[in-house]
Amino acid sequence: MPSVTVSVKWQKELFPSVEIDTEQPPYVFKCQLFDLTGVPPDRQKIMVKGGLLKDDGDWSKLAVKEGQRLMMMGTAEEAPKAPEKSTLFVEDLPENEQGVIEQGFTAGLMNLGNTCYMNSTIQCLHSVPELRSALKSYSAGAGTDMDPSSHTLTLAARDLFGELDSSHRAVAPLRFWTLLRSKFPQFAQQANNGAYMQQDAEECWTQLVYTLSQRLRPSSGETREATLKNLFGVDISSRIKCAETEEETEEAETVYSLKCHISQDVNHLNEGLKQGLKSELEKTSPSLGRSAVHSKESVITRLPQYLTVQFVRFFWKRETKQKAKILRKVDYPLVLDVMGFCSEELKNELKAPRELLREQEDREAGLKGKRKIEDGPAPSSMDWSTTEQGSPTGIYDLVAVLTHKGRSADSGHYVAWVKQENGKWIEFDDDRPIPQREEDITKLSGGGDWHTAYICLYKSRVPKKE
Amino acid sequence: MAPDLKSDSSAPQPPAKPAKDAKKKKDEKEDLSEEDLALKQQLELYVERAQDSDPGVQRLALESMRQEIRSATSSMTSVPKPLKFLRPHYGTLKAFFQKMPESELKMYMADIISVLALTMSEEGERESLQYRLLGSKGDLGSWGHEYVRNLAGEIGLEFQKRRSEEEYISSLMDLVKQIVPFHLQHNAEPEAVDLLMEVETLDILPKFMEKANFKRTCSYLLSCASYVPELEDISVLDIAYQIYSKFEQHTDALRVALRLGNLQYARATFAACKDLSERKQLCYILARQSETVELDDEIPMEDEHRDVLQDIMNNTKLCEGYLTLARDLDVMEPKVPEDIYKAHLIDGRASAGASVDSARQNLAATFVNAFVNAGFGQDHLMTSPAESSGSTSTGNWLFKNKEHGKASATASLGLITLWDVDGGLPQIDKYLYSTDNHVVAGALLAVGIINCGIRNDCDPAYALLYDSVTKDDPAVRIGAIMGLGLAYAGTQKEEVLELLTPIISDSRVGIDVAGFAALSLGLVYVASCHEDAAQAILLAMMERDNDDPLARFLCLGLGLLYLGKQDAAEATFEVVKTVNEKISNYCQVTLESCTYAGTGNVLKVQKFLSQCSDHLDKGESHQGAAVLGIGLVAMAEELGSDMALRALEHLLQYGEPNIRRAVPLALGLLSISNPKINVMDTLSRLSHDTDSEVAMAATISLGLIGAGTNNARIAGMLRSLSSYYYKDPSLLFCVRIAQGLVHMGKGLITLNPYHSDRFLLSTPAIAGIVAVLHACLDMKAIILGKYHYVLYYLVLAMQPRMLMTVDENLKPLPVPVRVGIAVDTVGQAGRPKSITGFQTHTTPVLLATGERAELATEKYTPLSSVLEGFVVLRENPDYVEDHLN
Repeated sequence: MPSVTVSVKWQKELFPSVEIDTEQPPYVFKCQLFDLTGVPPDRQKIMVKGGLLKDDGDWSKLAVKEGQRLMMMGTAEEAPKAPEKSTLFVEDLPENEQGVIEQGFTAGLMNLGNTCYMNSTIQCLHSVPELRSALKSYSAGAGTDMDPSSHTLTLAARDLFGELDSSHRAVAPLRFWTLLRSKFPQFAQQANNGAYMQQDAEECWTQLVYTLSQRLRPSSGETREATLKNLFGVDISSRIKCAETEEETEEAETVYSLKCHISQDVNHLNEGLKQGLKSELEKTSPSLGRSAVHSKESVITRLPQYLTVQFVRFFWKRETKQKAKILRKVDYPLVLDVMGFCSEELKNELKAPRELLREQEDREAGLKGKRKIEDGPAPSSMDWSTTEQGSPTGIYDLVAVLTHKGRSADSGHYVAWVKQENGKWIEFDDDRPIPQREEDITKLSGGGDWHTAYICLYKSRVPKKE
Repeated sequence: MAPDLKSDSSAPQPPAKPAKDAKKKKDEKEDLSEEDLALKQQLELYVERAQDSDPGVQRLALESMRQEIRSATSSMTSVPKPLKFLRPHYGTLKAFFQKMPESELKMYMADIISVLALTMSEEGERESLQYRLLGSKGDLGSWGHEYVRNLAGEIGLEFQKRRSEEEYISSLMDLVKQIVPFHLQHNAEPEAVDLLMEVETLDILPKFMEKANFKRTCSYLLSCASYVPELEDISVLDIAYQIYSKFEQHTDALRVALRLGNLQYARATFAACKDLSERKQLCYILARQSETVELDDEIPMEDEHRDVLQDIMNNTKLCEGYLTLARDLDVMEPKVPEDIYKAHLIDGRASAGASVDSARQNLAATFVNAFVNAGFGQDHLMTSPAESSGSTSTGNWLFKNKEHGKASATASLGLITLWDVDGGLPQIDKYLYSTDNHVVAGALLAVGIINCGIRNDCDPAYALLYDSVTKDDPAVRIGAIMGLGLAYAGTQKEEVLELLTPIISDSRVGIDVAGFAALSLGLVYVASCHEDAAQAILLAMMERDNDDPLARFLCLGLGLLYLGKQDAAEATFEVVKTVNEKISNYCQVTLESCTYAGTGNVLKVQKFLSQCSDHLDKGESHQGAAVLGIGLVAMAEELGSDMALRALEHLLQYGEPNIRRAVPLALGLLSISNPKINVMDTLSRLSHDTDSEVAMAATISLGLIGAGTNNARIAGMLRSLSSYYYKDPSLLFCVRIAQGLVHMGKGLITLNPYHSDRFLLSTPAIAGIVAVLHACLDMKAIILGKYHYVLYYLVLAMQPRMLMTVDENLKPLPVPVRVGIAVDTVGQAGRPKSITGFQTHTTPVLLATGERAELATEKYTPLSSVLEGFVVLRENPDYVEDHLN
């Protein structure tokens, strides 16, 4: 048997003496190497002079010398396979979607001359998807019955929101502004030089929400309350107690925002809200027949899906005749729990969903294993989003902040900071959307001349359907 | 001076009226002190007596005059006194000389007149030389340096004149042979060399060389070589080679041989060197220049040694050395693209990452990852350490790239395992079996990349690639063709020629395949002037339509064949003029720029500049190539490249858009891996240009000038560019690529094609860079299109920028070295310091462009005079441990 001994190098290993039977086809040699390396013969590549060793080659033509070093390549590894679900690339998307997705946020609004108060208000409200869809379904023919000016304003809002959704360039809210001015003449105030003046964003917000709440009624035949009230309205029941007669009256009302009062000892939103729900007022006591000091204590009886919190930062300063600003730093949380401000009945209602929510979150964090809920009616069977309550849990996440920079409400600069659906925060400084980090959002709590939170919009956290 | 001072000090005194007259009188007497007056009278007497009829008196007078002149000391600024006083008599003496009969005395007289002519001779008369030739031909040096220097100058002029009038020059030569040794003895080597070069007899120089002066002489010769006209530079280097060989400076001789591109010389040097350790050093130098000397039986040595030397020459040690350096510097930990982007340092903006993958940004990340982890063998995207989880994690990133992006992604594996043939190929193997053609193409390219600059007896690259060259799928073919080009760049491997010529000439294959084939052929036969290869490419150019952006690779392939070969391409140049006019201009410019690459030829630079001054109506693209040509030709030496920088600045101001787009690339080429502040600032300005193509080119060039330096300033600029251009995917892509380049090899790799103290030019390296730059001329079609993998041509220029000292058994040997900014010491007196502002480190160390290292210990002597790359150290037998420490 004529044979040649060669050494074979494979990866970093060297097999010093491998015998080649030169009468057998090279396939036999490959099988020898299979024993040594575990690489199947059809995956082996053996470099010889002038190329690769063929299975049916002829050793005599290859002139393999005694002691020659051959190099073998090959692994037993599988060829990489493409994942079943192929990756979706931005470049594959239609052009008009690219802009939005690539940036991860919607367009900005152009400043038409001191309109940042309006721009920031619109950006904050635009972040509410339910409001967007409600506006979308608002038809041009809907009830021109009474108030045509608010109808056209609503229509303008609808168009503006639509434009914001589709455009990836800054939008000029010209029509909306004109209509807003004509509907609310206070915004049409002009300075000496004829330019429109800066306005209070809170006023704009309130008026806008009010107008929309008037117009955006659910289509006929439904018993549910008005859309806006469902979204933003907070039902409050107040007990008014006369300090002298101990007489008590009860009052119920719907407000569209909770006020956070800022006084010497308020450092946190919770304290401010507590103060806001307690107040003293003078009113005529029927029993005394004269006005007396009454204390008013309010509790929340119904929570909205979106909770608006307004920091009462401005007060009328008589000597300067303008709304002066309280610069005091008031911290606000990214997650707000308003359970403490609710009525007893509401608290009871909130309990089960809160339990469920906590459990779900724990499970997500991997803290607890599955624990069956044994007692009580299985709350998981309910669809929380359709309940009477706007918020089933009383736990809210911060989704938008409207900030003010400057010393008085009618001057300075308003900016909206909005959380996008992908969780990223964007600062909408008029036409410039600037990405921001979440930890910087809570730094807008005041205490200096930096942007200071004026209105916070919180979104309710809802347990998932199971 | 003292007497003068005296008379000066008396001047300010307010003289009385009669004294004024006295002073006037004194002025007429030239303010002479008594001493000078005596000397003057003495000399006048000599002059008178020299004209005496009595030869005895004459002789005595001439002797005395001579004595006076020789003993006079002079400073650089003033004429020696005796000469000064003899000036009025110059004419007299000359007249008398004519009347003298031929005699020894006449010769003496000639000597003296010759010396006097030093100050008296009319411009261009060369009387000093004239009388010297008539004189006694006695000891030159005794008349002083100034005289010799003056003579040397006159000889140069006289030589030119006599040669043009075809007169006899041998008498001049005798004088030259007297002057040269005088200069060499007096540390005036540059003057000696200059004189010999002027009279075109440099070949006699080695005769005069001694141990004491050959080093300084050679260093002057070598630095001259860059500035003398073509052809003459070859003879200058040749002389240097002879001198080095004569004094057995083998490493230096080899470097000169490589500079000459003369492999016979290289071989002769190798044969002449008997010492094994020195041979190892020679092999390291050869490997750095990717040349080989065949170690056949004509160079006798033991087989065992032959293997060791062959291994070094094949560059198989490169990977090991590089990893040793990386471990020593503690940078083995893989980096991910995010570590490079450093988005957290940018205000908010970058955090708005999209929720959907962007193919372009993923592709950019692929390149960044590949460049940054180049050669380390590990990364977080492609070679996941979690092999246990199968190919899922690896596969994931691969498939986050789209279509042709997958080719670049797979090929990046080659870059990550760069130079490690044994370790890298097994990792690529599995991709060769993929069903996706783009992946296969990438894997083939990866095979080429791994083998770039490495030779292997088994030839794995060829064995794996040759089959795929003829496959049907163009992507696979391009992958294999490009792989071959990278793996065999500069080797002139015939099999590759046979494989590629049919593809180039086949008019049925696409222009893309043909273009890459031509480029690969150009790389493999770079600077070889290979006829068949040139024919094949020319033929393809004539037959094809050539309207495609990739047709430029045909031109470039042709140009690379003649890289730096100057007029060797003349015949080809004439042919190129006749091809299809769409491409002819571009091809002519490309060919010319390549043939004069790295020669510093000023005429060519001017020619390219004048081409740029034309204002073209049609969309012709050859001006871009001309701008690159300026950079390519001028990059040879510092002065030329500085001038080119200035010229480019003008082009920027007055040039057409297509010129402006190429200017940043030329800047990048001139300052590659060498982040000069002025270039950096210009590019930074251009990277905000309103013409987005200028901005893109400038951005890529920022990457090139900072390549492998980790330069913080450029990194900062690029970071801010990344937020400036966050909405423009194309520019953002360029920014990312540039970021990858700056952090190439985590800062251990350079792209500079010049090495060994900027003395040698690596032809494959420059070829690779030029290929990328030409591709950048049409960014949209090539790099931003589907041929982004041309960026991998940069691998040809990638080299560790290290100094690695090894002992005679090639084990790493840490020694203290001083690393500082290199100082040009050529032609300086004494023993000047070769570096400045140095710091002391322990090897292995990194060397930046323009830095030089020297050993900080006497304990070892390096076997190479240039401390770069691998240097073998030998223990110094005379070393005595310093007991004081």
